[in-house]
Amino acid sequence: MSGLSVPASGLAGHRAMAVIEARRMARHPVFLLGVILAFVVLGLFVALNKDEGVPVVLTLPLLGAFYIGLTSVIAAARLTSSTEVALEAVATAPSTEARRTLALAATGIPAFLAGLAFVVVLVILAQVQGVARQEWWFGTLPDWQVWSILLMCPVACLGGALLGVLTGRWLRFRGASAVAVVALIVVSLLGQTPLLETSTSEWRLWVPWAIFSTGDNADGSQTLIAGNPGAYLGYMVALCVLAVLGAMWHDRTARTPWFRALVAAVAASALVLFTLAATTGNHDNRDSEPNPSRVSA
Amino acid sequence: MSARLWYLRHGVAWLPVLACCAAAAATALLVVHWPDVAGVLAPAVLACCAGAAAFVYDEDALAVVAVTPRGAGWRRSARLGVTLLPLSVWVVVVAVRPGDVAFVRPGWWLIGGATLILVVGSAALASRRLVSTPGAVLAPVVALAAVAPVTLSGMFSWGSVYPIGDFPHAVRTVWLGVALSGAAVCAVAFRPGLRP
Repeated sequence: MSGLSVPASGLAGHRAMAVIEARRMARHPVFLLGVILAFVVLGLFVALNKDEGVPVVLTLPLLGAFYIGLTSVIAAARLTSSTEVALEAVATAPSTEARRTLALAATGIPAFLAGLAFVVVLVILAQVQGVARQEWWFGTLPDWQVWSILLMCPVACLGGALLGVLTGRWLRFRGASAVAVVALIVVSLLGQTPLLETSTSEWRLWVPWAIFSTGDNADGSQTLIAGNPGAYLGYMVALCVLAVLGAMWHDRTARTPWFRALVAAVAASALVLFTLAATTGNHDNRDSEPNPSRVSA
Repeated sequence: MSARLWYLRHGVAWLPVLACCAAAAATALLVVHWPDVAGVLAPAVLACCAGAAAFVYDEDALAVVAVTPRGAGWRRSARLGVTLLPLSVWVVVVAVRPGDVAFVRPGWWLIGGATLILVVGSAALASRRLVSTPGAVLAPVVALAAVAPVTLSGMFSWGSVYPIGDFPHAVRTVWLGVALSGAAVCAVAFRPGLRP
């Protein structure tokens, strides 16, 4: 599609711009590398597994979130800053920066779909190969909690792309996406690791990626960390929306009273959802029955 | 001031290089406070140092300077010296052992050296191919690649490529392989002349 065929304004114009950005994202080599790595590592994990069934299924979404989500940060930041070299030309186009930013949010669509595909493949594998009786999974955990934990993967991938857009809009120095990636890892790690084994582990949920299942413990059990995964999923979605609004905030002309009210409302929603995630759901960490085949040597 | 120093002072993108080195030092300070998670923070320090090395060959006016009489080889070899900066940061961090983390120093120095050789070789190769700012893509990719094995060690029974307390022979072999790959990339990148 050529640029000249894009309608200048209106919903059709925005849809056309969004499609262009989504296609650019879907073709970006760094994003494609992340998607391939995520599925290759998942395939290796399943192929090399000697136990019956797929183990630690509620930990595996981390792979998709890590490889697809973090590479999406890099790719989306590159796409966002790629127009900077032609800023003067772009600025004369009949479209505001905020509108272009909103179109760039469509870079999250391929990332979300890739994360969703990862989860679908994981669920199919678990259904085909089965899971251990002791596994935290359907039957040992309410369905809505299982689905919430699984869907954290595509939402994290979406959030990665939107964080990339936010980074590309606000941070103009070279390697800004590298800083964003390392900061995201360090904050997610340090924000929750010290709390995981305490009686207040639910307060770890302020981080953008919180784990709910520890995977294998040394005795073959798995720990389900406290908190409400459904509300936390909503909190992640609210963070995604905040990332888009934060990127649009860069355009001074977009900061209308209505837009400011929207930002405040979404921020308040994120706070409420975080509070719900931390104060409802499981209040204590729960250990599964030990799975004899997963006991550490 | 010699011509090389003058060139490095004016030609190198010092801001991202120094920012990455500062980030590495700041992350090393985090290890002091949270030594229990050194298994992830130490690779993050490495990621920052590798990120700094990725910017060494950023040169906005590459298309112009690549054809100056001084020659591309002189320019590439001069910039190689800047890699000593992130390498020094890594060497000092491992030598100091923040938080009394039991790094096996020779092994961890090998980790840093191998990574930086590979990264700087890749940046030089991109520069040879007339990519003016390879660091913009290379830095985030190598930062991610440096931390990625941490997730793998948790999923597989292969053991970590960032071992703390001991340094198994298999891990040494892996990093020697990385170092050899880096040396091969450097050999290609530092041949005289321009592309290919």
